[in-house]
Amino acid sequence: MIDPIDATIKIASSGLETQSARLRIVAENMANAQSTGPASGADPYARKTVTFESELDQATGVDLVRIKNIGVDRTPFRIEHDPGSPAADSKGFVKLPNVNMIMEMADLREANRSYEANLQVIKQANSLSSSTIDLLRNSS
Amino acid sequence: MIPALSLVGSLFGTPALSQALPAAAQPSNVAAAGSDFGHVFAQVGEAIDSIKAGESAAISGLQGQTSVQHVVESVMSAERSLQTVVAIRDKIVSAYQSISQMAI
Repeated sequence: MIDPIDATIKIASSGLETQSARLRIVAENMANAQSTGPASGADPYARKTVTFESELDQATGVDLVRIKNIGVDRTPFRIEHDPGSPAADSKGFVKLPNVNMIMEMADLREANRSYEANLQVIKQANSLSSSTIDLLRNSS
Repeated sequence: MIPALSLVGSLFGTPALSQALPAAAQPSNVAAAGSDFGHVFAQVGEAIDSIKAGESAAISGLQGQTSVQHVVESVMSAERSLQTVVAIRDKIVSAYQSISQMAI
């Protein structure tokens, strides 16, 4: 049987990894907010979405978290009239990514908060574990 | 790393200390008591070996093969195993000393 404090740290660590992956997706979306398609009239960068799922760890029997799927947002692209752009179609319209900066900022903040929460769990578990071991050390 | 802690946990199950105390009272069993302490220390050594294995895994992770979160988790786990082993070793040593310094 696994030590519950060890299991706690393992679970929170999986949370850290998934939230950092989410942060990476947000970074990709924000960096590509203006990326147009490669050719005239082609589709631009499509916003990526990330979903999570719980994963039973066979060795320890605890529920970890992992990335379920990195999908593509299907909402329609923004269209601007910019005949000078290389990505403009025959009528001068350019398709721009369906990235909404405010939504990305909210997602970023949520990933940040969740990461910090998992960090706090690790800190608490580590401090509990240390003080329990110290009990053994100081009682002599 | 998790086997390391459970290995340490198995130390509590060894009858070494409980055997050592009555054994010290009977001179014919003193040698057996000594080997029990040695046996306990050998197991602590095994735990330290597994901690070392965890540390080297963490160092190989630092070369960019795994995420920094995983490395931190491994190192912290190894550190906790080490702290546990050191605390238990101190306990065993103090038990041995209190027997060996017993007034005859």
